[in-house]
Amino acid sequence: MDSRLSFAICAAILTVSLTAPPVWAHHGWGGNSEQEFELTGVVDTGVSLAGPHATMKIRSPDGKVWDLTLAPPFATSKAGLKEGIIPVGATVTIHGHRNLDPKRLEVKTERVTWNGRTFNVYPDRK
Amino acid sequence: MYEFMAWLQSSALGHAMRESGVWTYGIANLVHILGVASLFGSVLVLDLRLLGVWRKVALAAISEPTVPIATVGFFIAAASGFCLLATKATEYVGNPFLYIKFPAIALGLLNVAVLDSVPAWRQHKTRELSAAEQSKLAVIGGISLFCWLTAITAGRMIGYW
Repeated sequence: MDSRLSFAICAAILTVSLTAPPVWAHHGWGGNSEQEFELTGVVDTGVSLAGPHATMKIRSPDGKVWDLTLAPPFATSKAGLKEGIIPVGATVTIHGHRNLDPKRLEVKTERVTWNGRTFNVYPDRK
Repeated sequence: MYEFMAWLQSSALGHAMRESGVWTYGIANLVHILGVASLFGSVLVLDLRLLGVWRKVALAAISEPTVPIATVGFFIAAASGFCLLATKATEYVGNPFLYIKFPAIALGLLNVAVLDSVPAWRQHKTRELSAAEQSKLAVIGGISLFCWLTAITAGRMIGYW
């Protein structure tokens, strides 16, 4: 290939990667509030280890159902949070970060506590 | 739209994707990337040639390896993409990147159909092309690059919405 063209393509790629919004670097946390969020509720739908992220649903005391986005399937199961461990109807406390859109009841969840056990699905996050 | 996604999610494929182990999604994702890489890698080389880069290399010498790899890559990407979508199809309803990606793919395929109907393309292996014909193919190559770049960009962004 023409070396000037190669240079132009490389320069273009470099420019895009350096100027891309920093939020992309957060790899999925950019759409969530930075504020720590905690919620206690009753399991409505148990843990599913389907990709790209494991999920579960809990019902808060005011009757609203929250979508919990956990870590990817393998990381979630490695933290001990496998399907069927926490029964539907059990009371759990979860810790994570809410979706930035206040209308969306979604929490990217770092920790789930149930029956004295804490499942830390994102052990590298505080 | 929602009805189709709900049907896809509750299909046997959706169940299989969700219930066959913690690596299933990751492996389907890997296959998707390999398909996209084969498709786009080939398309990039062919389109740049149609746009006038490497004029010294005969078009036929470039189209011979790139067209079949792009074709196989497309089907691999489409099949694995269908699996990824089926896993949690309803979650993507309302995701704006999905509504950019699929029209871009449709336009890219339509562009392939146009290319296949152009005499210059049909005969490029057996005769020299005129300057006007080369310009026509360059336009098609440019549209192709735009379509596939748009599809890949929107596709990558789906998960960040």
